[in-house]
Amino acid sequence: MTEHRDPAPHDPAPPIGDADDRTLAGRATDGDVRAFEVLVRRHGPLMRAYATRVLGSNAESDDVVQEAFIAAWRQLPDLEELGGVKGWLMRIVSNKSIDRVRARRNHLDVTEYDPEAPAAQSPARVAEAHSATDALSAALAGLPEGQRRCWLLKEVAGYSYDGIAAELEIPVSTVRGLLARARKSLMQEMEAWR
Amino acid sequence: MTELDETGLDGHTLDELSDYLDRGRVPADPAIEASPGCQIALRALERVRTVSASLLAGEARDTADDGWVATIIGSISLDARAGRDIPVTHSDPSARLSLTEGAVRGLIRAAGDSVGGVLIGRCRLDGDVTIPGEPITVHVDASVFYGERIPDAAQRVRQAIYRDLGRHTELVVEAVDVTVHDVQAPGTPGRTPR
Repeated sequence: MTEHRDPAPHDPAPPIGDADDRTLAGRATDGDVRAFEVLVRRHGPLMRAYATRVLGSNAESDDVVQEAFIAAWRQLPDLEELGGVKGWLMRIVSNKSIDRVRARRNHLDVTEYDPEAPAAQSPARVAEAHSATDALSAALAGLPEGQRRCWLLKEVAGYSYDGIAAELEIPVSTVRGLLARARKSLMQEMEAWR
Repeated sequence: MTELDETGLDGHTLDELSDYLDRGRVPADPAIEASPGCQIALRALERVRTVSASLLAGEARDTADDGWVATIIGSISLDARAGRDIPVTHSDPSARLSLTEGAVRGLIRAAGDSVGGVLIGRCRLDGDVTIPGEPITVHVDASVFYGERIPDAAQRVRQAIYRDLGRHTELVVEAVDVTVHDVQAPGTPGRTPR
């Protein structure tokens, strides 16, 4: 890049919509609502897609993501690794989603509950899927809920085994077992799809 | 669907392989690396994980509509960021005036952004700002636009912050520390890598 940039004071600041996460999180921490809005636009859709997965429907996911962002705004001053704001937001939305599931189930064990997969995403759809993403999506929808939740926490939200255990309030050994079963089913389905 | 069997894994298990992947295949396990069965399983496993990680990205596209963002922004509490009260003297001794720390941070951001080619991130005021005349240090995080000379940019930011704080507050600014945490390429969102 050989373009000469004139360092005159009227040179515009880079647009905030393109700013890196650390800059945005820092500004939001200090009260800049515009910066927070950029974070909402940048990461909100992924959080919503995630919440929809965990909750099994998108009826509640908007509420959950909204709650997550309100909590995030309040807790931002405590966030030490500002550049890691995306993972932090994913953890908050995971947490809110699981709270919601728990309340809905009225303390039913989240790892035992195994509702029927929605018809539109039943495992039979795996074979008809046009892309690997669609196939996995269908396979995931066919998993028992406990397995699906563990898999999402680990592979999508980036949780550790210990983190999942703490989040779901179950022993780490149970987490390992659920993940092992999920992994086996998903690999099997995906190899068969291919 | 065939049962995924572990007999071809030369005595290894899928769990073990999954942990091995979690460790980034470091340190390399010669037995696993030399086993064709393990190599096939590792590839299948990696594939499922890669697709999982990108699963939500597709669903997340184009879903941040303005109404939804506005609802979230409308729900956050702005009071949370006021911070400390910074006294301002007035010719009438019976008048008690103060600026909030949040307002001063806003001023600092605006000053830093105004120099061009720079976006201010987190900003911290070190020292007891509630005591008039007490020397303080300003720390700011900044991302600098690609092509800017970083020392020049930092110097301009420093000068602008001294100037504007001198103009609008009675703070005794001992030092302004600028930390450049990101260099932003033109036209690309400078998102912090995960």
